[in-house]
Amino acid sequence: MHNSRQRSFFNRLFEAPAIGKMAPGTSLIVYTLLLCWSLVVLFPLYWVLITSFKSAVDVNSGPVYLPWVDFQPSLHAWRELLVIDYEDTLRSYINSIVIALFSTTLCIIVGSMAAYALARITYKPKFGNILMFVLAMIAGCYVVWKFGVDWKLSIAVAVAIWFFLVRSIGRFFTRSVGNGDILFWMISQRILPPIVTVVPIYMMFQNLRMLDTHMALILTYTVVNLPIVIWLMYDFMNSIPIELEESAQLDGASRFRTFWEIVLPLAKPGLAATTLLILILAWNEYILAVFLSTSKAQTIPILVSAMNAGERGILWWSMCVVIVIMILPVVFMAVLLQRFISKGVLLGAVKG
Amino acid sequence: MQTGHQPETTAKRLSLRKLNKSFGAVHVVKDLDLEVEPGEFLVLLGPSGCGKTTALRMIAGLETVDTGTIELGGNDITHALPKYRDIAMVFQSYALYPHKTVAENIGFPLKVAGYKPDEIDHAVRETAAQVHMADYLARYPRELSGGQRQRVALGRAMIRRPYAFLMDEPLSNLDAKLRGHMRAELKHMQHDLGTTTIYVTHDQIEAMTLAHRVAIMNEGVLQQLGTPREVYDEPATLFVAGFMGSPPMNFIHGSVANQQFEAAGMALPVTGSPSSSQAVLGFRPEDSTVGPAGSGLFDASVFAAEQTGEYTLVTLSLADDTMTIKMPRDFDAPIRSTVSVDFARDKGFFFDAVSGKRDALTLV
Repeated sequence: MHNSRQRSFFNRLFEAPAIGKMAPGTSLIVYTLLLCWSLVVLFPLYWVLITSFKSAVDVNSGPVYLPWVDFQPSLHAWRELLVIDYEDTLRSYINSIVIALFSTTLCIIVGSMAAYALARITYKPKFGNILMFVLAMIAGCYVVWKFGVDWKLSIAVAVAIWFFLVRSIGRFFTRSVGNGDILFWMISQRILPPIVTVVPIYMMFQNLRMLDTHMALILTYTVVNLPIVIWLMYDFMNSIPIELEESAQLDGASRFRTFWEIVLPLAKPGLAATTLLILILAWNEYILAVFLSTSKAQTIPILVSAMNAGERGILWWSMCVVIVIMILPVVFMAVLLQRFISKGVLLGAVKG
Repeated sequence: MQTGHQPETTAKRLSLRKLNKSFGAVHVVKDLDLEVEPGEFLVLLGPSGCGKTTALRMIAGLETVDTGTIELGGNDITHALPKYRDIAMVFQSYALYPHKTVAENIGFPLKVAGYKPDEIDHAVRETAAQVHMADYLARYPRELSGGQRQRVALGRAMIRRPYAFLMDEPLSNLDAKLRGHMRAELKHMQHDLGTTTIYVTHDQIEAMTLAHRVAIMNEGVLQQLGTPREVYDEPATLFVAGFMGSPPMNFIHGSVANQQFEAAGMALPVTGSPSSSQAVLGFRPEDSTVGPAGSGLFDASVFAAEQTGEYTLVTLSLADDTMTIKMPRDFDAPIRSTVSVDFARDKGFFFDAVSGKRDALTLV
């Protein structure tokens, strides 16, 4: 290649002028695409924001786009929800915050410990023992159905027989499942669409007389999101060099202390990202909430949907107000947790 | 500060008795017996996969022991948790805590042990000065060079005065120049501290320079235990002879009959009783010389002569065997020319070709 080589127009347009630079044509295409995508993402948000300031007339008389130009913004919907009807809004809001925070905290604590255990301890439950457990449970259910035995008694006997079998013939089984199988089994809990599981969950909480309580939603969200936490955190835990933990053990630290003082700080970026994800999932959850809560434990997404079921038709302006105040905390949390989602925490641990 | 030969009171004797370890079907450590004297610097030497790191990890308590016992100062620690062994380890990767500063890294063992902050601070400063890291206490590991990280790892191991140090190839991540420098420092430091040390390496130069005694392992079996001079001058097996020295010992495969060692184109008189008829004659490159054909013990053909600056390495071929002779730097010989090899009679070693053990034979 010679410096004097003539470069065609096309060549100059799509060839980077130097390493680390972008060709003018490429950057034009890239930025045009990014701009289009930004519009797709941001326009609905803009629309929600201005609709919350529209009056019923402005909404119903066709699209208007620019405040003060197309229409006169008014605070009537805001006043209605935050001043006149504030009790309802505030209750849902606080419900959402309490439920999302508690379930996420619980989920992260339990999930990260489970992920750590799966990443560091080799489990070998015997395949035969698991099979026997399933068979014992089926037998227990069959006895209840066929002979009308009390289900508690039946299950207790089934477990006792299973325990006896594990202790006696269990050691002759050779095939066992490993950590990978356990991990897959956990994530498989999420394969079922929530709508399939929601009726059994509803009936369970009905039996426990826990419908429309915070606890019901916190527990359900925790269980539902736990597989995601375990799955994500497993990867982060695995990326921490094991020598660090071995070194800590030799330095005299207990397993729990090693987890608390060495593993957890190093897993911080993963923890932050996972927390944010779980928080958003819990905050936005609708299907389970609509079944498990009616009024006392009603969350924000339910309030949003309630806006289109009023006798006055769909209250777009009120709905938009609720959506705006619903988005704000998520944005706040994202900014807050962003700091921790940084790379390079492991730098200097084991290599140069 | 202690000056060596009388070790400090913290140094303890470490005994391994009939230690065995398998990973699945692979028998990694076989009946390992080892007595490490208080304050001794013992090097476990062997090629990768010989079981030396596994042995070290069993002493540390990071690996379970299948059979056998480990005793430290008379106490059986075979199944004790790592934290109750009071043994410090320096990992090949240093394993510094990346989210802790140098001071926090060095002070971590004391913090875990529940010392007061001012006590820790005092000890950290003292230890950091010993490893020449006093000016870097506030830095994070990522802000340090390889040699500095190495020092921090050493400091962290030293600070609580453990009964024993374990080092797993601590110098292998450093560049050649720094490695030589750290080697000398390590030797000096261990001498001053007088702590029983087990050092694992595959580098025979490190073993020769650092060790009070070297334990050479191959395929999980201890081959020879002795001072660097002993294992170099009197190798017990073919493996040890071929592993120690750079370039390693030369071997000529032949047979022994009627007080004569016979190989391609040579017959050398010997005395002693061979353990089998197949024997291997070994001699070191630096013990032998190349002369005009017919002048020495046997003749061989020149394969190549390489100048290294300091000396010339002459590679010769004789039947299926090749050998290397270290000659002065002005020596040269044309390729394919015939030359003669000579060495002092007592510098020739015989090994049983079948068992690899040393044969009771000498050249006359």
